[in-house]
Amino acid sequence: MIFLKAWSFYLRLVAKFPIVQTILPFVPLVIAWALVTEYEVFPRAFLPGPMDVINAFGTLTYKGVLTQYLEDSVVRLAVGAAVGVAIGIPLGLLIGLSDRVREAVWPVLLFFQAIGDIAWLPILLVWFGFSLTTMTLIIVYTVLFPIVLNTSLGVRSVSTDLHRAALSLGASKLRVVWEVVLPGALPNIMTGLRNGLGYGWRALIATEIIVGTSGIGFMMFDARRAGSVVEILLGMVVLGTLWYVVDSWVLAPIERATGKRWGLVTQ
Amino acid sequence: MGSGYSMKNLTIQNVSKTYFDPYAGANVTAVHDISLKVNQGEFISIVGPSGCGKTTLLNMIAGFLPISGGSINIDDKPIKGPGADRGVVFQTFALFPWKTVGENVGFGPRMRGLPKKECDQIALEFLSLVGLEHVAQKYPNELSGGMQQRVGVVRALANNPDVLLMDEPFASVDAQTRMTLQEELTKIWQARRPTILFITHDVPESVFLADRVVVLSKGRVLEDMPIQLQRPRVWDQLIEDDTFKGLSAQVLSKVRSA
Repeated sequence: MIFLKAWSFYLRLVAKFPIVQTILPFVPLVIAWALVTEYEVFPRAFLPGPMDVINAFGTLTYKGVLTQYLEDSVVRLAVGAAVGVAIGIPLGLLIGLSDRVREAVWPVLLFFQAIGDIAWLPILLVWFGFSLTTMTLIIVYTVLFPIVLNTSLGVRSVSTDLHRAALSLGASKLRVVWEVVLPGALPNIMTGLRNGLGYGWRALIATEIIVGTSGIGFMMFDARRAGSVVEILLGMVVLGTLWYVVDSWVLAPIERATGKRWGLVTQ
Repeated sequence: MGSGYSMKNLTIQNVSKTYFDPYAGANVTAVHDISLKVNQGEFISIVGPSGCGKTTLLNMIAGFLPISGGSINIDDKPIKGPGADRGVVFQTFALFPWKTVGENVGFGPRMRGLPKKECDQIALEFLSLVGLEHVAQKYPNELSGGMQQRVGVVRALANNPDVLLMDEPFASVDAQTRMTLQEELTKIWQARRPTILFITHDVPESVFLADRVVVLSKGRVLEDMPIQLQRPRVWDQLIEDDTFKGLSAQVLSKVRSA
């Protein structure tokens, strides 16, 4: 009975404050972390506790360092992703629509996909130095491939009957692309964007560690130099939290309003 | 394009279709030699076993597939690719999932360049033909299969096509819904008299709906049979009707001999 009551209380709580459902799974994790540090299983200098990280968050935010670095990282990712989307979706459409373009571009695409983002860093450093250009290029490169590949896949997954229906209702070929192909490919494009942003975010941190003079990646690596483990941990917490926010505040609502609403993606 | 249907005849002359089958590694002839004249306002059923070439024929009339030989004309004008003069109703319904029911029906008028308000109005007018004006704001996946195909039919009609091509449109709905849809279609046809070419493998369906039943076999016309039954046609009456039973038996024996 008590269990049932607790369960119904939990359900009502979640219905009222959905954020509870997000935070709850982390509670045992943080408790375990606190216990490990409290009993000094590892020396404090190597593994600070949750409170230390929260304190560091307070100080760094107060000094404005954290907010500035966070802004730098997010803006870099946003700019890189925007450029990647602007190139990736049209290219994916072309490849998906035309067998000729596909045959011409595909092998090259696979070749360059294999040269992972970071593998470009040495040559980009030679060409552009430790600059914003280098970082942006890496992100664009990383975001681009998942979007191109998934977009072209999505284009091909649109059923022939939908093409035919639009044409026999008087749509021009260009109109079919806009009215049928693009919305039909949207669930795949979203998958590509989700993957691309995920990869791009990781590539950004790695690039900032090597190239950066600011940003979350730089903050973490700089903290290592200064021997401040607490700032490294803070950086990791920020990375995880930020991705969760992007996913649930930006990507998931778009998917709910499109593919899921239309019945293209199962709930 | 006005609200009425102008005089248009569809003429299919010695049409054939041969294509290369990469799996068999050889040319396959789906349609050998079909000639058919469809008069304005006629309701024709094309019936035959699978592989008789009926869907290939429809796809050529719709302009989805090029013809290998012969000609297909609408009033002496050869057809070139798909066009709004030939409306198509698909077995898969082929409604745009990302458009509301109203936007689906108004799609043809919008492609003609009519203003949005007018398209919405046309959509509602045509949806009311099948009693679905109340779902105009819903998305197709929120409707039952029978409702979706009603939308599919009026979407094609809303464009005032010269010919309405229907490719086994009721094959994927349940038996009871199918009977209702068949009765509704004959009612709409009587009220608006569009020219309809209806592809099916269901013999009673072909007889119930049409003025003429064309039996296809191995890519040729085997039989072209007039159906003289009273309209309006209702299943409750026809199911016991001797003329209907006799005609169905006649068509069935032709199809089975095919």
